Amino acid sequence: MLKKKICMVGQFGVGKTSLVRRFVDSIFDERYLTTIGVKIDRKDVTVGSASVTLMLWDLAGEDDLAQLKVSHLRGASGYILVADGCRAASLAKAVELQKRIAGQLGPLPFVLVVNKADLRDRWEVQGKAIAETGWPTFETSAKAGTGVEEMFLALAGKLIG
Amino acid sequence: MNVLAALGYAVFERSGDGSLHLAGPAPDWLPAGSLPDAFPFLEVFLPDAEEFWAAPGARSTLYSDLWAQDDLHFCAIAVAGEQNLLLIECAGQRFRETQSFVQYAHEASLARDQIAKLTAAKTEFLARMSHEIRTPMNALLGMAELLSETPLNDEQRGYVRVFRRAGDNLLNVINDILDFSKVEAGQIQMESIAFDLASVIAEVIEIAGVRARAKGLQMSSRIQPNVPTRLIGDPGRLRQILLNLLGNANKFTERGDITLDVELDSAPASLHFAVSDQGIGIPSDRLSAIFDSFSQADASTTRKYGGTGLGLAISKRFVELMGGRIWAESTVGVGSTMHFTAQFGVASVSEHTPTASEIPAIVYSGLRILLADDSEENRFLVRGYLKSSGCIIDEVENGAQAVERFRQRAYDIVLMDAEMPVLDGYAATREMRALGSAPILLLTAHAFHDARDRAFRAGCTEHLTKPIKKAALIKAINRYASANHRIQVAVEDWLKPVVGPYLEKRRGDIALLRAALDRGDYAVIRTLGHQMAGTGGGYGFDPITEIGNLLEESALAGDTTRMRESIQDLERYLSTVRVK
Repeated sequence: MLKKKICMVGQFGVGKTSLVRRFVDSIFDERYLTTIGVKIDRKDVTVGSASVTLMLWDLAGEDDLAQLKVSHLRGASGYILVADGCRAASLAKAVELQKRIAGQLGPLPFVLVVNKADLRDRWEVQGKAIAETGWPTFETSAKAGTGVEEMFLALAGKLIG
Repeated sequence: MNVLAALGYAVFERSGDGSLHLAGPAPDWLPAGSLPDAFPFLEVFLPDAEEFWAAPGARSTLYSDLWAQDDLHFCAIAVAGEQNLLLIECAGQRFRETQSFVQYAHEASLARDQIAKLTAAKTEFLARMSHEIRTPMNALLGMAELLSETPLNDEQRGYVRVFRRAGDNLLNVINDILDFSKVEAGQIQMESIAFDLASVIAEVIEIAGVRARAKGLQMSSRIQPNVPTRLIGDPGRLRQILLNLLGNANKFTERGDITLDVELDSAPASLHFAVSDQGIGIPSDRLSAIFDSFSQADASTTRKYGGTGLGLAISKRFVELMGGRIWAESTVGVGSTMHFTAQFGVASVSEHTPTASEIPAIVYSGLRILLADDSEENRFLVRGYLKSSGCIIDEVENGAQAVERFRQRAYDIVLMDAEMPVLDGYAATREMRALGSAPILLLTAHAFHDARDRAFRAGCTEHLTKPIKKAALIKAINRYASANHRIQVAVEDWLKPVVGPYLEKRRGDIALLRAALDRGDYAVIRTLGHQMAGTGGGYGFDPITEIGNLLEESALAGDTTRMRESIQDLERYLSTVRVK
């Protein structure tokens, strides 16, 4: 079966692990457990007539102490930049990470995900700021499940298309 | 190798062709399949490991990051030696230790962000509330002030007095809360200007002494002779701290004396202030807590004596911003002494020292003032304040009308409300700046520092915070009014009987000053200068205060040229000043 490596990148606490958990296990856990190193999951999906195994690499969120290791994206077919709608700084971080990844690995397919759509009344990230990126964007809620599967499948479709 | 296997590692040997073979027993956690398929993470680690095995340098091991798969946590270790090895460790314990540390850091960071957001929201809320509360307070207090100037019988006068006092108290509470939130939001900016310590002390004793005398208490101050009185610092904040401490001493004392002592502190450039009372005292276990926000020595204190419990917390922050500390000594039933230290610069003789005293209500005659405010109450108030000033006031209700009037004719002063329909005060000011340079005084109910910055950025000459008192408004107008109008000084009726003799005394001083200068008796010049500095502004003659300051400074420095010039300035001013 076709196998595609997809990396989840973004600031810490934006919900990368929760998005994968929601997609792979259909579960959401309120507890925040920070990711250390890399968490690898797999999910078989069908996109159109093609079956594909998505290898989901959930990379530890970048913080003041540790930078994202771009080398962990080696061999990736694409990546998902995750921002937290409630933290404007997380979108800026996503923009910064995209530049760094593109600078080191060249152009790779990616999508921007603005997570925590269930807390939209507390969002700091403005629609204008999202639109300014010019990137394909999904608004998701790992908690409610909104937009999660669509986002993963859309990227998968892009990778095999 | 057996040892490594016994320690729980999965041990792989690297062959010459680069393949990896399990070289010992397979731990039960080892997934089936060959490498790197069994551990996808090795796809990114093995290229690094290959580089390391090819050129290990001084190191013998290379550790991978931790990774998780199938609910287990792993780490890979490349070992360089006679036989290159790849160890896989099931690293659950290490993972948990690392996670607990990083998790703590992340949670702390998220909490910090959350607190910053809440603080910003609170600051915004308080700024908004400040505006909402101060606008009607402006009208209420202003009307009370105007009402007190109308003919009233004794009963009515009593009602108005209570009305004004209650309004002032309420305003003090609002100001306390605003000050505290400004400190919390880091918006307090300390001034660094030259000022006269003796004037500040005299003023606070004068203000706080009114209530003390009403209770039959004695309030006095002592400044040690070696304390420099011409300082550089923030006289407004110093005054606020002292008024707070003296106010507390007054509040908690039923009989006896209240004294304010100032002396040199042991630390360089630092002064030590002490306010002592013979009041109820503070229990020793509450002495440090009284400086916490919303705290009083006893919860019942609030009910009996009132207050927000913010005064000392604000004073503490101000003292810290002045590079000092504050503490208390007390014996229950005997009294308390509140101490604080603060750092100041010493002003050079050339630095101008503004007078601390309030000026009476004066205004230069014939000023044409453009008043832009959408509130009828506020326009009425300003009109009332300037009723007997001889000013000509043109009123408009929004910024666009103000710009239009400003285009049509010249004004000496523009009083501009910040928030108006059609065109606000900031935008109107920007347009007016392209048309002329008349002083524009912006009146806002926003007390926060950014409101002031915004006003100056828009081109305003000054920013006045509502509710504005009559004296403050007139003082500002006087300060910025055109020099052409500084011919006559209007003095309020009640001051007129004393103004004439005052000016005569100053004219008499000229001969004394000249004689003292001739015989080199600078002490006399310094004393007379000090008297003028402390009194001129009080009667409405700011130049006398300024000249007095110069005389005092130049006498202190032994600068005969400046003393002579200042005496000439005084003579010239006294020969031209006219009282309306």
